[in-house]
Amino acid sequence: MVLQDLGRRINSAVSDLTRSPNLDEKAFDGMIKEICKALLDADVNVKLVQSLRISIKRTVNFKDIPPAVNKKRLIQKAVFDELVKLVDPHAEPFKPKKGKPNVIMFVGLQGAGKTTTCTKLARHYQTRGFKSCLVCADTFRAGAFDQLKQNATKAKIPYFGSLTSTDPAQVAAEGVAKFKKERFEIIIVDTSGRHRQEKDLFDEMTQIQSAIKPDQTIMVLDATIGQQAEAQSKAFKETADYGAIIITKTDGHASGGGAISAVAATHTPIAFMGTGEHMLDLERFSPQPFVSKLLGMGDVAGLVEH
Amino acid sequence: ISGLFRNVIGGKVLTKQDLEKPMKGMEDLLLKKNVAREAAVRLCEGVERELIGKKTGSFESIDTLLRTSLSSSLTKLLTPTTSLSLLTSITNITTTQQRPYTISIVGVNGVGKSTSLSKLAFFLLQNNLSLLIAACDTFRSGAVEQLRVHARNLKDLSDREHLGRVELYEKGYGKDAAHIARDAVAYAKDHNFDVVLIDTAGRRHNDARLMSSLEKFAELARPDKILMVGEALVGTDSVMQARAFNAAFGAKRGLDGFIISKCDTVGEMVGVLVSMVHATGIPVVFLGVGQHYGDLRTVNVGNVVGLLMS
Ligand SMILES: Nc1nc2c(ncn2[C@@H]2O[C@H](COP(=O)(O)OP(=O)(O)OP(=O)(O)O)[C@@H](O)[C@H]2O)c(=O)[nH]1
Ligand SMILES: Nc1nc2c(ncn2[C@@H]2O[C@H](COP(=O)(O)OP(=O)(O)OP(=O)(O)O)[C@@H](O)[C@H]2O)c(=O)[nH]1
Ligand SMILES: [Mg+2]
Ligand SMILES: [Mg+2]
Repeated sequence: MVLQDLGRRINSAVSDLTRSPNLDEKAFDGMIKEICKALLDADVNVKLVQSLRISIKRTVNFKDIPPAVNKKRLIQKAVFDELVKLVDPHAEPFKPKKGKPNVIMFVGLQGAGKTTTCTKLARHYQTRGFKSCLVCADTFRAGAFDQLKQNATKAKIPYFGSLTSTDPAQVAAEGVAKFKKERFEIIIVDTSGRHRQEKDLFDEMTQIQSAIKPDQTIMVLDATIGQQAEAQSKAFKETADYGAIIITKTDGHASGGGAISAVAATHTPIAFMGTGEHMLDLERFSPQPFVSKLLGMGDVAGLVEH
Repeated sequence: ISGLFRNVIGGKVLTKQDLEKPMKGMEDLLLKKNVAREAAVRLCEGVERELIGKKTGSFESIDTLLRTSLSSSLTKLLTPTTSLSLLTSITNITTTQQRPYTISIVGVNGVGKSTSLSKLAFFLLQNNLSLLIAACDTFRSGAVEQLRVHARNLKDLSDREHLGRVELYEKGYGKDAAHIARDAVAYAKDHNFDVVLIDTAGRRHNDARLMSSLEKFAELARPDKILMVGEALVGTDSVMQARAFNAAFGAKRGLDGFIISKCDTVGEMVGVLVSMVHATGIPVVFLGVGQHYGDLRTVNVGNVVGLLMS
């Protein structure tokens, strides 16, 4: 599972330190080093790790802790706070409203899991009483419409797309207009994979966005992504201003640190996690319980209030 | 790297201490290029071993020494020890054994297997070979139609430019991939195809059930080459992906090469090549550099090392 390894390593670095008989500055530096190694192994952005190191050092300020203060608690809290800061942008992802059309557009890198996830999300809302549907605005990838069609059919969700059109903005606009007229409440628009190095692809994304004016744009990110996460997610943010992230493939072994770096770089909340290839493999995400679970510290929630 | 390392010039015997700071800079550089930490640390240790006790030449800085040493370690790692000429291997088999040459493509979900397969098909067609594409991803929605579109596009291209012959072999969804692969190979032999290209479903390397089915797949399809697609975007997971797929085909069989896809999406961060080769010793055969048929390249080691060191 995502971040489990990371959690274990950070946790043991902290408790090794706090259990050690001479809790001196050298041991403290050792702990920070261990934590940074764990974060790097988890694909957290290198620069982010460097600033996190400085931040923990500054907050704890080891040399000047008065002897009366509980060092263990102070250190634990500092680490916990820094991690929460990483995954908690203090922004709420968008909540769709019943009785009106909510247009949601998916964007992301090639192969991230957009098409798979848009059916999962449509189904998620469908079972919560929203009248949901799918629009395929990927006119580029071979078999893209067939893929969406087959998934939608399995999930019994109405869909729209074109086998012949090569203009994704037009297909998207047509689909959205049709479903709005039919009073659908959740209209999810799937788009092709793209990346920041190809300007044409980013322009196309802008064109689709202006054609359908989505209420929410969601960036889909693969949990295995490495050091490119920050640059790509920032570029998508600048161009498409997405309001939520979905991390996919969290059933794999990857630690998801790249995706977390994207959250930190764009101050955008993770709304859901994809946990498998099947329709029901989607989970909601909330940062604080996630980090406490990650650190395996039942009592950390209490620490936050202090 | 310049500026990162402390410069000591001329005639000094290097100690571990002299190297500590510059080594850290070098490790960070590799990490920023998306080299997995495990590989970065190993490479740096190698460089350190080589340099400790060495005397710097006059006017030679630690910086230059480190650069040279790292650059040659990377070059050595990425330079394949055997010839990778796919076309030669294919001709060998088709002429001496009168049977089609079989290539299967494997990898985790969404890395670019089917697209890389189509690019490879295009390359082989340009060399006037006849191809059977076997649709053995019987799981993911649209996987068969995706290959059908590619096969049709490639056929149109071939017809127009008088290249090789291409056909799709498919049995729809739900059926056992290993059996379809075996039947495709038999069909190709009967119909005098030169090459069979087998697409497979994406699978997580930590999914024991799906991984174990690869062994039977290799037994039935008997591929001459098993190529794994890894994407340039992936982080540390690349190490485990490479190791797990290399081990999945039973004791007698490993991977024969990597295709690293999506290189166009990472700029200089081409560390995945280092991570995967370092983890397994298996060479990178091709790079994917875009979403079109022509976007397949052989590796230029000098270029890759240049990107990593920049
Ligand atoms: N294990 C696992 N696989 C997933 C998950 N989400 C998607 N996938 C798989 O990832 C692969 C790519 O998914 P797609 O939905 O086609 O990705 P995409 O972003 O639409 O791809 P493009 O449209 O080509 O950019 C498929 O094999 C999916 O089955 C997940 O949460 N877990
Ligand atoms: N930019 C870029 N995109 C690529 C490259 N190779 C593949 N892709 C894209 O990556 C996405 C996924 O490609 P597929 O070939 O469907 O991947 P796959 O591994 O077969 O996916 P599954 O079968 O679902 O596991 C598609 O949008 C491709 O166009 C490449 O070299 N560069
Ligand atoms: Mg898609
Ligand atoms: Mg495929």
